[in-house]
Amino acid sequence: MIKDITIGQFFPGTSFLHRLDARMKIVLTFAIIVIIFLCKSFFSLGLMVVFTVALILVSRVPLKTILKSLKPIIFIVVFTALLNIFYTTGDANSWTYEFWIFKITEKGVFTALFMAVRIICLVIISSLLTYTTTPTGLTDALERLLSPLKVFKIEAHTIAMMMTLALRFIPTLIEEIDRIMNAQKARGANWESGSLVNRAKALIPVLIPLFVSSFRRAYELAFAMECRCYTGGKGRTRMKQMKFGVRDFAALVLTGTLLAGIISLNIFFPKVI
Amino acid sequence: MTVIATRGLTHLYSKGTPFQVAAIKDINIEIEHGELVGIIGHTGSGKSTLIQQLNGILKPEKGTVLLEGQDIWASKASIRQARFKVGLCFQYPEYQLFEETVYKDIAFGPRNMKLDEEEINRRVHKATEFVGLKEEHLSKSPFDLSGGEKRRAAIAGVMAMEPMVLIMDEPTAGLDPHGRDLILNLIKEYREDTGNTVMLVSHSMEDVAQLASTVLVLENAQVAMSGTVEEVYSRGEELSKMGLSVPQVTRIFAGLRERGLDVDTNIFTLEQGRQELLRFLGKGVPV
Repeated sequence: MIKDITIGQFFPGTSFLHRLDARMKIVLTFAIIVIIFLCKSFFSLGLMVVFTVALILVSRVPLKTILKSLKPIIFIVVFTALLNIFYTTGDANSWTYEFWIFKITEKGVFTALFMAVRIICLVIISSLLTYTTTPTGLTDALERLLSPLKVFKIEAHTIAMMMTLALRFIPTLIEEIDRIMNAQKARGANWESGSLVNRAKALIPVLIPLFVSSFRRAYELAFAMECRCYTGGKGRTRMKQMKFGVRDFAALVLTGTLLAGIISLNIFFPKVI
Repeated sequence: MTVIATRGLTHLYSKGTPFQVAAIKDINIEIEHGELVGIIGHTGSGKSTLIQQLNGILKPEKGTVLLEGQDIWASKASIRQARFKVGLCFQYPEYQLFEETVYKDIAFGPRNMKLDEEEINRRVHKATEFVGLKEEHLSKSPFDLSGGEKRRAAIAGVMAMEPMVLIMDEPTAGLDPHGRDLILNLIKEYREDTGNTVMLVSHSMEDVAQLASTVLVLENAQVAMSGTVEEVYSRGEELSKMGLSVPQVTRIFAGLRERGLDVDTNIFTLEQGRQELLRFLGKGVPV
């Protein structure tokens, strides 16, 4: 279960999306997420779906991998959809279906569908960002994007470095948890049965060694970084310089076109469900 | 009497993905009561997977593990029993310490076995004595001990369960020579005192030669050799093909033989080497 987490998972490739500047990708991802919420009619949402599918095809990330990122949110999608089905009151001129205390309206079904598609698009778009950008690329870009915050005395470099390290240590910690759990299991620890309180208590033998070793690792890492003369962001140069290219402006224009398309579809075909 | 046996034991990692590999395949071993079995093989040969199968931490893909003739996966109760009867001490066991005091930490296993307070107390003290820790250590926090003491406290935690079979995965990893000798002696004494079976996973051919009565060599997920120390160690050439080398002292005697000296080449420990040299030099064996 713990291995299903797809945060920061990178799928190597050389597609158009892979080669986009990471800064542009982050900004455009946010823009597209906003655009998803601007979709008000079936036509504009349809355009959004087409756009999402096109992005998947362009990225050349296998469909299976994309579907894997949807696995953790299936519950949320189903839950939202059900809520919408049962809680939306319909208008007079559409059909309704009633049984026991439930009442399903045509509008409810459509709203539920609409919400589900929206959430799925949202997740696919944001996971495409992590699938096509290396973790270092992402944090480097974030550092650049956050650097104006210097005005407020916020060190963008520190934040970015912390993120890089956190991402780097996720697999290490997962391995560590596995090892400690096995060691305690060998001494008869049992968190698979018993009451909730007992099960929570049974986690203490795992959590304490985990904390201890995390602190140890943190110290070791800090020493190792200092030994390599790390003194923070000041004066640090980078091996990979980021440059905007024609590609990035093309992507910007494309997203702008999408925005225009969605807005005009909203205006000219306002079939709100 | 056979304590532990496996029949066609197979374990796969990343099953159903393109990365699927068999960590062990079709392993059939029989371990007799009271033996000290050395398990050797280089990294990735399946040693760790095998020992985690023996007390049911991992579930076999195929095959069975028989503990005193009973399949350990027969029921939920039997798998719990197997965890207590087969004590597994992982590599770097000091990282599993978590309690406020050393006493409580050593008592963790016995407490999980639902023993009464008196019995727990007896076992904790016995295990503490075994590993050479002192009474005053028991009330300390395990995090205040030195590295070697931590390791011994953790080993005591497994010994206190008084398992029929004690399995130790690289118990001397990362210790200095003194700490290493201490742990090896402790394993030897434990076996002589309790008469229980001990399995020792090790990289060091020297350690295994010193302690083990039988040896199991793993290579590419399978048992490549098994037998007494003499039987296995005399196949030096095959061993070095697997990336394992016979002890230095063995190589010295093989070299002496090559140079025309009439010495026995079945020498695996320093003590044996000393005896053989003395015999060769015609001085007899001093008492």
